[in-house]
Amino acid sequence: MDSTTGEVRDSGPLAVSCENLAFSYPGTERPALSNVSFEVRAGEYVGVVGPNGGGKSTLARMLNGLLAPDSGSSRVLGVDPAVEPFEARKKVGVLFQNPENSLVAPFVEDDVAFGLENRGAPVEEMRVRVRSALRAVGLEGYEKRETHTLSGGEKQCLALAGLLAVEPEVLVLDEPTSMLDPPGKRGLLRILDGLRGNKTVLHVTHHLEELLWADRILVLNEGQVMSEVVPSVLFSDARLLGENGLVLPPVLRLARDLGLDLPEIDSSEELAQAILKEMGKRVIR
Amino acid sequence: MGVSRSLGRFYPVDSPLHALDPRAKILAVMSLVLGLFFVRSIPGLVLMAVALLAVVVMSRVPVKAFLKLPRVVLFIVVFTALFQALFSRQGEVLLDWGLLEVHEGGLLMGIFLAFRVLLLVWMAGLLTATTGPVALFDGLEDLLSPLRRLRFPSHEVAMMVTIALRFIPTLQEEAAKITRAQAARGAGFDEGGPIRRARSLLPVLLPLVIGAFRRADELAEAMESRGYRGGIGRTRYRELRFGLRDIAALTVTMLILALGIAL
Amino acid sequence: MRLELEEISYVYSRGTPFEIAALRGVSLAVEAGEVLGVCGGTGSGKSTLAQHTNLLLSPTSGRVLVDGVDAASLEKIRLRQRVGLVFQFPEQALFAPTVEEDVAFAPRQLGLDEEEVRTRVEEALVALGASRLARRSPHNLSGGEKRRVAVAGVLAMNPEVLVLDEPTAGLDPATRETLLDLIRSLRGAGISVVLISHDLDEVAEVADRVCILEQGEVKAVGTPAEVFYGHPEYAPTMVRVVSSLRENYPEIVQPVRYVETVNVLKKLLEG
Repeated sequence: MDSTTGEVRDSGPLAVSCENLAFSYPGTERPALSNVSFEVRAGEYVGVVGPNGGGKSTLARMLNGLLAPDSGSSRVLGVDPAVEPFEARKKVGVLFQNPENSLVAPFVEDDVAFGLENRGAPVEEMRVRVRSALRAVGLEGYEKRETHTLSGGEKQCLALAGLLAVEPEVLVLDEPTSMLDPPGKRGLLRILDGLRGNKTVLHVTHHLEELLWADRILVLNEGQVMSEVVPSVLFSDARLLGENGLVLPPVLRLARDLGLDLPEIDSSEELAQAILKEMGKRVIR
Repeated sequence: MGVSRSLGRFYPVDSPLHALDPRAKILAVMSLVLGLFFVRSIPGLVLMAVALLAVVVMSRVPVKAFLKLPRVVLFIVVFTALFQALFSRQGEVLLDWGLLEVHEGGLLMGIFLAFRVLLLVWMAGLLTATTGPVALFDGLEDLLSPLRRLRFPSHEVAMMVTIALRFIPTLQEEAAKITRAQAARGAGFDEGGPIRRARSLLPVLLPLVIGAFRRADELAEAMESRGYRGGIGRTRYRELRFGLRDIAALTVTMLILALGIAL
Repeated sequence: MRLELEEISYVYSRGTPFEIAALRGVSLAVEAGEVLGVCGGTGSGKSTLAQHTNLLLSPTSGRVLVDGVDAASLEKIRLRQRVGLVFQFPEQALFAPTVEEDVAFAPRQLGLDEEEVRTRVEEALVALGASRLARRSPHNLSGGEKRRVAVAGVLAMNPEVLVLDEPTAGLDPATRETLLDLIRSLRGAGISVVLISHDLDEVAEVADRVCILEQGEVKAVGTPAEVFYGHPEYAPTMVRVVSSLRENYPEIVQPVRYVETVNVLKKLLEG
């Protein structure tokens, strides 16, 4: 494993820890995960990237007890999801790729309540939480709408509301934007940005521009953690990017190809501005 | 895209009828369906029709929706009327075509019976137009829950129905999409005899079924990950409350039905 | 082949209270061998437009012309062969037990002999870098592989115009590049491509001309530089960066593609 991790948060309580996780899908030769170890502190926002089949989705499912490892172990806030999946699911919510297949109920408010119903929450509490979860994702006023009439982006926000309603401390996002159009993506990412710091988040994606403000990025390839770095280190490491099938967002690629230093990254808009300023200075000189 | 409002489709507005407990509405419709067979006089039937009209107005469901009858219903209504008119030989002869005679009594009876069928359909349609699918099945689950003692899986059935309701529109859209995608690959669906036509549907049905299984898989995973473990220890977001209003509504229904039968 | 849409209007659920005009008098032509990019948000009418190119939807008013001939007068299957349409998420329609059988579906519908069918299947799979998948079941492939097979299934008809509706939606970066390369090589082979996409960056990379649809109307059509620099709200990343620079350095030219932009900016930096 690469140890040039840059500045990684190493204080605060552990939220997720995995030790030597290994897993193979039945009937396959190549392991989906082998020897995966890492830790995430409470409140961290961690990106998980890597090529298809690299083990990202397998890892996401393992943290929620949907899959149990062949060997090794994981803990989520002290609970082993392989041993106590129902306990783990109270602490970890997973947002899946296709919101269409995550929504259970024909009406919006019923779907948000689904997880609460499963936990036996009292009705008054459900009402309050459904309302605040819908507010958190900007779907106030959608309570009585039929689920299937929502746009893709709205559906994913609804799925997220269903997770937030049960107030998990850890959120695992498994390529949550891949089925969304650009406005849907932007909407979801804005909401996720708002969760930064309040929740521990593991965000699996192909798109590095979604991780500009992550605290740390795990690179998974061939079932192994290839590297664990802060975004700016990953973005300026052409070899690491290339070997793991990662493509820089256009603005970052432009900055690199123009030989500009990558400034402190926060959003692609700010970055564009920074590049412009830098270029302006040089042109004047 | 726009779907035309037809009879029985849930019409989401606020009305006194929408606010009733679904169990009250199910019980009322069930008693009316049974009771209508005992309404045997024209004034009785007219009373029921007027009462229904009043309730429809209260429900704020547009009356127009009740005029759009499914073909099956129309067929049954027309068939009932014709059958009675042609085969019942009461009263004066109105028409005589040799083998076929239409008697005044038969014609009246035909219209009466057809109208009764129509009333039944309208009542059921009003139930589903004013009761959302979730509420409807919550109500049914509750009314059926005594059967749990006989090991009837009422929670599971209700959950299945809820999911089916959730996914029917999704699968409809998918079917339409796959049909167009295969048409773009040169598939024709209206050529040849019945066997060839059935065969030509395979490229649509197969991916639809495969897709449905994939959805079921993902949905099961999502439900599990959201903490679903069957009906045990589960609470309900939609709490059913059988209140004074519901008792009043049921009582009024029964009174009108009794009057209709008595007339 | 020249494909022309002439004053196309299309209304969904006509005659009901749910009537929606999806297209309002759209006129647009696809010249032989060009890549036409069609951009626009959700509800702009992009997908409705796509389905008019091979008359899966018949326009409420207006005509579709194929080399000047009214497409409605052509045999349907012949039209659909000449204008290949790939829907969004086309992998939903994969159905055969093997990849090669699935790709062979369209050529067989065209009534080609088996040898020709086999050649077409091979060629289409090669074009999408999917030859090694031929004997696999399409249902056990990865998302990116399924997408490539589904595109091959339309390409196997040897269309003269290929219409792609959001072909890269939900794809990993590698498969996305494969599809963009395919578009470039089709253009090289004289086949027209209509690329419908809300990803402005990818349209900027491959399009010869760009059309912007907004609420069922053509808002702009022209070269990528004209359209993107003229409509900042539809500017792809490179155009946004250069546009900001042009506020201070109006003498900079208007590059659109990535490589052009890098060259222009490098020159600027060197003075």
